[in-house]
Amino acid sequence: MTADMKVKRAIAQAAALVLLGTVAGLVHNGFSANGINPFRKLDGVPVYDNGEKPLGKTDPEDHDGICYVSFEEFREIVDAGYPVLDSRTSDEYESGHVPGAMLCDYFEMGRHFEMVLPRLSPEEMIGIYCSGPRCDDSEMLARELYNMGYTRLCVFRGGMAEWEEAGLTLEHGPEKAWE
Amino acid sequence: MGMSQQADTNDSGLPGLLFEIPGGEGRRQLLLLAFRVVLAAVFIYAALQKAGKPLLFADEIGMYGILGLGFLLYLIAIVLPWIEMFCGLALLTGIFMRGAALILASMNLVFIVVISYRTVGIMAAEGIPLRQIYFDCGCGFGPTYAWKKLIEDMILLVFSGTVFFSPSYRFIAGRRKG
Repeated sequence: MTADMKVKRAIAQAAALVLLGTVAGLVHNGFSANGINPFRKLDGVPVYDNGEKPLGKTDPEDHDGICYVSFEEFREIVDAGYPVLDSRTSDEYESGHVPGAMLCDYFEMGRHFEMVLPRLSPEEMIGIYCSGPRCDDSEMLARELYNMGYTRLCVFRGGMAEWEEAGLTLEHGPEKAWE
Repeated sequence: MGMSQQADTNDSGLPGLLFEIPGGEGRRQLLLLAFRVVLAAVFIYAALQKAGKPLLFADEIGMYGILGLGFLLYLIAIVLPWIEMFCGLALLTGIFMRGAALILASMNLVFIVVISYRTVGIMAAEGIPLRQIYFDCGCGFGPTYAWKKLIEDMILLVFSGTVFFSPSYRFIAGRRKG
């Protein structure tokens, strides 16, 4: 076999492996609890910044989209008993989370949605947080939820960092089996 | 052995190994086998860490700032681990081995370019020297120093390039002679 033929055969083999991997990946994604729709769009979600730059329509109780809330507003949401989602990993959640918060790891949201979604109402305010100002998992989770019809999403960008800094109570341990 | 040597020099026409290995065909084939096993182990392990976690992998790819959130990013996050997995299996079994080596060599080349791009970006933005730049490259092995990752990828590039350019192979599943 000549070099030319060997290279051509290698390219054909590579194409076959890519095709095989693509099919296997798409099939697995289709059946996996963490599978995603590659066509989904996360932009185009209305975002209101309540924490730093009020944009007019900033009342967390009266907005359609994602509203960034300040620490005080987030505390009000927690104290009022609205559902709060912790978008960090289960390890981080277990090491300490906002009291009453439900674990909804953004990167494994498909799995967590089974438990979390029945406890959410599309009309209700939902508080969401992650580690702190440098993480965007809470906002990403909010964008996913908005596309699913939940329209009053309050993202606390200060996250656990600000909550702990304020010396507020933490709840520890694994997620509860909610009834 | 004699026939294999004949194949090495006259039949393949490929450049042969990227470097000369003393000791003849037997030692060369053992070294090739070692390269295949290392490549397979690295890529199958990496694939297992990323397969089934498309959001996490997409987020890690997104950190490079090359692809925005969208179809291409998500598609890569869904299929790339599986392509790595099949390439690893191909190298282990010897089936479609040259094609797998071609893919892995190309991937490593791309990884080197994008990790360098991100590293230079961090150096410029934060004024950190190269030796201190530490991030998760999305490779499946967790956060590491950029310089270390670049060296690893260069080694893997040499391994995969060597397998691709090898004029002949042994240790192929279902075949007694290479």
